[in-house]
Amino acid sequence: MSGGRWTTRWRQAWAVARHELKLAVFSRRVLPVLLLVGMPLALAGLRAVFLPARQRVDIGHSTADFAQMFSLFHLRFVVFFACALLFAKLFRGEILERSLHYSLLAPVHRAVLVAGKYVGGVIAAWLVLLTTTLLTFVLFHLPHGAAGVRQLLSATGVAHLAGYLAVVALACCAYGALFLLAGLYFRNPMVPALAFLGWEVATPFLPPALKAISVVHYLSSLLPVPPSLGPLALLTRPVDPWLAVLGLLTATGLLLALAIRAAGRLEVTYAAE
Amino acid sequence: MNPDTISLRDASKFYGEVLGVNRITLDLKPGLTGLVGPNGSGKSTLMHLLTGLLRPTRGEVSVLGVPPADAERLFRIVGYCTQYDSFPAGATGLSFLRHALALHGQAAAEAEKRSWEMLAAVGLTDSARRRIAGYSKGMRQRIKLAHALCHSPRVLVLDEPLNGLDPMGRAEMIHLFQELAAEGRFVIVSSHILHEVDAICDAVVMVHGGSVVAEGQIRAVRGEITSQPIQVLVRCDRPQAIAARAFTLDHVVEAKLVDDGASVLIRTRDADAFYASLTDMIIESGVTVETVLPADESVDAVYGYLIGQPGVPT
Repeated sequence: MSGGRWTTRWRQAWAVARHELKLAVFSRRVLPVLLLVGMPLALAGLRAVFLPARQRVDIGHSTADFAQMFSLFHLRFVVFFACALLFAKLFRGEILERSLHYSLLAPVHRAVLVAGKYVGGVIAAWLVLLTTTLLTFVLFHLPHGAAGVRQLLSATGVAHLAGYLAVVALACCAYGALFLLAGLYFRNPMVPALAFLGWEVATPFLPPALKAISVVHYLSSLLPVPPSLGPLALLTRPVDPWLAVLGLLTATGLLLALAIRAAGRLEVTYAAE
Repeated sequence: MNPDTISLRDASKFYGEVLGVNRITLDLKPGLTGLVGPNGSGKSTLMHLLTGLLRPTRGEVSVLGVPPADAERLFRIVGYCTQYDSFPAGATGLSFLRHALALHGQAAAEAEKRSWEMLAAVGLTDSARRRIAGYSKGMRQRIKLAHALCHSPRVLVLDEPLNGLDPMGRAEMIHLFQELAAEGRFVIVSSHILHEVDAICDAVVMVHGGSVVAEGQIRAVRGEITSQPIQVLVRCDRPQAIAARAFTLDHVVEAKLVDDGASVLIRTRDADAFYASLTDMIIESGVTVETVLPADESVDAVYGYLIGQPGVPT
């Protein structure tokens, strides 16, 4: 294939990505996502106000509290649903508003279209969710005063923050591909999303073989501070970090390949939707 | 498949068990082709098949040698103005065209320039930065046309393109379609308003119940319908005289005086023989003839004959 064609494809993919980014972040579509990401921020804000004085002097509290909140709420609920809202709409949103044909009437290979939409969604998700994670992390440390700030700026604090951000970034990639695919296959992608959420929430209590078929299991292996999952959780050896990253990226690639296949077969039959 | 024509070979499309179009074989040539038929006859399905928005359940489709599934090649040469009156959320006329051109791989400056040119061509320069959601029906139709035309396609597929346009707008658009056809492009226009197609198209494809019932030039199609006598309207100062003489001809089955008192409608099984005799009739009777017109060589009449409902507007 000529270099010119690849240049055109890059341009097209970037044009699609920019368009999706604009729709996801600068249109009304972003409101439910903002509502969702406002929750951990509000939680962190409430904690900052109501944290008992005796706990404020112990910086270890912020680390443990954030680890719990991140694992059980931020990752499993906020990141999960934000990705569902952002990615499931990439195709399904256009089908519902009957404007998908404009994307399909362009000289764009369907794989390029899927790639462009996915990249747009990932950038949007990173913008919103990485910012939220960063702010929440900072808010969890602020009630501890100067010690909290020192902890934030220490090598350990920065490493923890980088670890959490990396987990969120990877979660966006994996959940994004999953929900992009769901948006292509299901009229209401929220139904499979809820079913998958049930699976993700139940992961700690599943035997090791079943844990392997979840996203959160691999993400949890990358957490800088492992959370306490309660007495009923079946503890297993965490997955090796490199294996976890590789597994997530492989799953993402596989899901995107399926999405490209589904997009290739896509027809415009709005009346049937 | 022929790289110089638009071809369908035995193409069918079923939506589950519902028939869209059935076993259509067609070869479309450059010029203005009208795709006619009532709502639900399969016109849009046919257009979707040509543009890859639908895939045939069986059969083959090719647009100048390109299979519609190959979007990368197809939409370099095809522009499609669909019947859907919906647009991407929040789009303005300018951003809509700019994005379409960006998808064609055009650089930002080039896309911006071409967008303004197209907005000017469809008379929407002043509304370029307004949201399309706030446009009138006619303006939305114009921006869709600009979208279909912005990359100067060789093949233009237009689904009910004149819907919602005011008379001036219709005239402008018809003129534009005729210009494009005269340049040797393929312009395929669908309409359920038959006289509209009649007025502008070089050839027609008549669709009914998912099947093509006739195709070609209107006059040729009409000539093949031998079961229906051809109607000729003669406007003159003494229609009774023409009617009386017409009755003496074997091939004339009816001569009816029209209510306006200045015309006679002749129904004949042999139009050529009638036209040949008409000169003699005029000379012998000494009438002054104003016009002689074929009265049922319209798409409307031909379509009615073909689906067995002559005179019933579709």
